[in-house]
Amino acid sequence: MKTPTSGYQRPASLTDAAMHYCAGCGHSSVHKLLAEVLDELEIRERTVGVAPVGCAVFAYFYFKCDISEAAHGRAAAVATGIKRALPDRIVFSYQGDGDLAAIGLTETVHAANRGEPITVIFINNTVYGMTGGQMAPTTLAGQITATSPTGRNPATMGCPIRMCELLNTLEQPYYIERVALDGHGGMVATKKALLTAFQTQVSGKGYSFVEVLSPCPTHFRCSPQDSLKFVGQKMAAQFPVRIFRKEGVPVHA
Amino acid sequence: MKKPEAAFFSRVLMMGNEAAAEGAIRAGCQCYFGYPITPQNELTAYMAKHMPERGRVFIQAESEVAAISMVFGASVAGARAMTSSSSPGISLKQEGISYMAGCQLPAVIINVQRGGPGLGSIDPSQGDYFQATKGGGHGDYHIIVLAPASAQEMHDMTMQAFILADQYRIPVMILADGRVGQMMEPVRLYEDSPPPAPPKPWALTGAKGRPPQYIRSLFMEERALEKHNYELQACYRQITATEIKAEETETGDCEWLIAAWGTCARISKGVVQKARAQGIKAGLVRPITLWPFPHERLARLARRSQVKALLVVEMNCGQMLEDVRLAVNGAAPVRFSGYPGGRVPTETDVLNALIELTKTNHHGKVEQPAV
Amino acid sequence: MHERILIAGSGGQGVISIGKLLARLAAETIQHITFFPAYGAEVRGGTSNCQVILSSNEIAAPIAEKFDSLLVMNQQSTDHFMPLLDKNGLAVINQSMCKAHADDRHVLVPATEIADRLGNAKAANFVMLGVWLARKPLIPNRTVENAMATHFPDAPPALIDINIRAFRAGLDFSSSGDRKA
Ligand SMILES: Cc1ncc(C[n+]2csc(CCOP(=O)(O)OP(=O)(O)O)c2C)c(N)n1
Ligand code: SF4
Repeated sequence: MKTPTSGYQRPASLTDAAMHYCAGCGHSSVHKLLAEVLDELEIRERTVGVAPVGCAVFAYFYFKCDISEAAHGRAAAVATGIKRALPDRIVFSYQGDGDLAAIGLTETVHAANRGEPITVIFINNTVYGMTGGQMAPTTLAGQITATSPTGRNPATMGCPIRMCELLNTLEQPYYIERVALDGHGGMVATKKALLTAFQTQVSGKGYSFVEVLSPCPTHFRCSPQDSLKFVGQKMAAQFPVRIFRKEGVPVHA
Repeated sequence: MKKPEAAFFSRVLMMGNEAAAEGAIRAGCQCYFGYPITPQNELTAYMAKHMPERGRVFIQAESEVAAISMVFGASVAGARAMTSSSSPGISLKQEGISYMAGCQLPAVIINVQRGGPGLGSIDPSQGDYFQATKGGGHGDYHIIVLAPASAQEMHDMTMQAFILADQYRIPVMILADGRVGQMMEPVRLYEDSPPPAPPKPWALTGAKGRPPQYIRSLFMEERALEKHNYELQACYRQITATEIKAEETETGDCEWLIAAWGTCARISKGVVQKARAQGIKAGLVRPITLWPFPHERLARLARRSQVKALLVVEMNCGQMLEDVRLAVNGAAPVRFSGYPGGRVPTETDVLNALIELTKTNHHGKVEQPAV
Repeated sequence: MHERILIAGSGGQGVISIGKLLARLAAETIQHITFFPAYGAEVRGGTSNCQVILSSNEIAAPIAEKFDSLLVMNQQSTDHFMPLLDKNGLAVINQSMCKAHADDRHVLVPATEIADRLGNAKAANFVMLGVWLARKPLIPNRTVENAMATHFPDAPPALIDINIRAFRAGLDFSSSGDRKA
């Protein structure tokens, strides 16, 4: 994937550590974009991040800002604690779909419902990457994973949870957007969404949530190129790419 | 080489995690609830494939808290139910385990331990001994804890766990580790029909033709909880009287007694052979039930006049060590050789610790901290 | 008989596959077996290895410290594991991917090149297995060939065919003497 800026420069908010992600993994791209946003808003030094348990568990090696670990799924609660203790700091959580939408759904919903003025970055890759490609709450109907060996059957395993839509039923969130990391255009859109989310927090407006449809070539079991297609076509068909909440007001499709 | 018996040919090469899963299926487990975590993922995946094939229940829960609560529900309904996880997930299950102990509900929980505390590592560990044997959750309770050391035992003990759970209406934990879970070995599968479950008149199946009943752990009436606790303790006493299991190797004339469980017991068995080849009269006692713990057996062995000292070997900083000390009660010195942080000791590590022990003076009852 | 084997290489070279195959086939005739794949970090990538112990006696410690056989497929594993070779042990080294000095305990075989010539470089693991089994005939060659299709039910027939030919090329490599290719 190309970076939107011509002439690649490593963002100052990224460390020199080589990332451990597989080739073509969406985590690496989102890390870069997130770091660029921290640079552009000049907030690196007053930002505290919360890393998930998932493939991004080592995020604290990659960002040059403070980052805390959280138990699996508890990132939004940990971020709440940090933000309440330090209201003038910029606090974000960065979470996968298992972490955010399965084990941490309660924490996710309640942080959003309280309107915690934090930024939640949600990497939706339809699988549990780190533990070997098991079914996630976002796994598509019929999708084969290690724990849905004959494909996800909605009758017994439920349908993919649309987190943006779900959170959009709450009163408190200020900004909710879904983007798809499906190529160059997706990179630009993702960067813009992250920028808006952090601006929301910087200007003290409230809770912001960005869902990134993201490739996991390892568990999609295809090439990085084909996984971009999977994101842009299959995933985007299930998870509409758009803004759901702007300035505290639901945006209708 | 001996001519192999007929049963030899019915063996299948299986990973410990899968052998346990197959053991549960053959024990008549009707409901399984899991949540992915390494190094037990193969167990959950095996159940995902084979439970629905047999028309049984498999759910990947949204968390371990949810998974153990689903087990609770299935058990309330009278079903044979199981969950599995590894250390961080087992911590989350403690709430449900305490409630099941309080409600006297049978269930099987498999812990394929990894390093801790916290996220720790995914390497094998025996760091959850305290958690498993001394309570784990809140309240005054015990669960039965079995410690397998091979793929075959993962199979057999899972089977056994369902029988014990039903018999005593108690949660039973298989305390394995990443090594036993990931290792493949030939396994002779249980071929009979599932051991019959005792009648469960307490199960909540609908009050058709009988007065309604309930299952609870909340006792607010005067002294009711005290009475309930005594009932639980009576059950624990009965289990302690009948279910303790330990294995001995070369203990007849042994002067240096190793005490170890699970993977460490297996490594120590090799050490006993090596030590004997060097003229060191070593022996091994291996608790198979960690709760109830074979205190009496250890006391008896330690009191034998030729026993000079004990060496406790664990992949932690000294947990079963405390039970061994309690049992031995000063009858012989107890030393420790520990391997925390996900390290699996080699035979050489343990042999060296043993040789070191034979060279020290044992008049004082000394204990060394973890290496 | 007590044979301690370690197979190592990079992820994707199929070291776990042939380790499992070996263990599974050995289970048909050998009483005691343990197979242990290094399950590494939860994060992906890096090297891969597995241990197989075959024995006519009960395997007490399922963890070997020295090995009677090493099958190493890349440089990193060669550097890392060669010191664990028993003094009477045998190492089969994939010369296509690693440098190692010649020694009478070492068999250098250009496994990746041989497999590549047969049509798929990924079959190098079967070349390695063939070379090793020719030296240590612990299971019959025919058993291995017959198992190729049943053991890998998802593999397309063309790939199975290449695997079998790679395995035979390994056997031939050994029988034609140590060509220090
Ligand atoms: C309490 C607990 N349960 C299970 C695990 C094992 N575990 C580690 S990461 C993970 C899921 C990761 O999936 P996801 O959140 O989708 O992130 P991805 O790896 O795809 O980025 C699980 C279940 C754990 N660490 N802790
Ligand atoms: S497994 Fe998937 S999510 Fe994890 S690093 Fe690899 S590509 Fe990324």
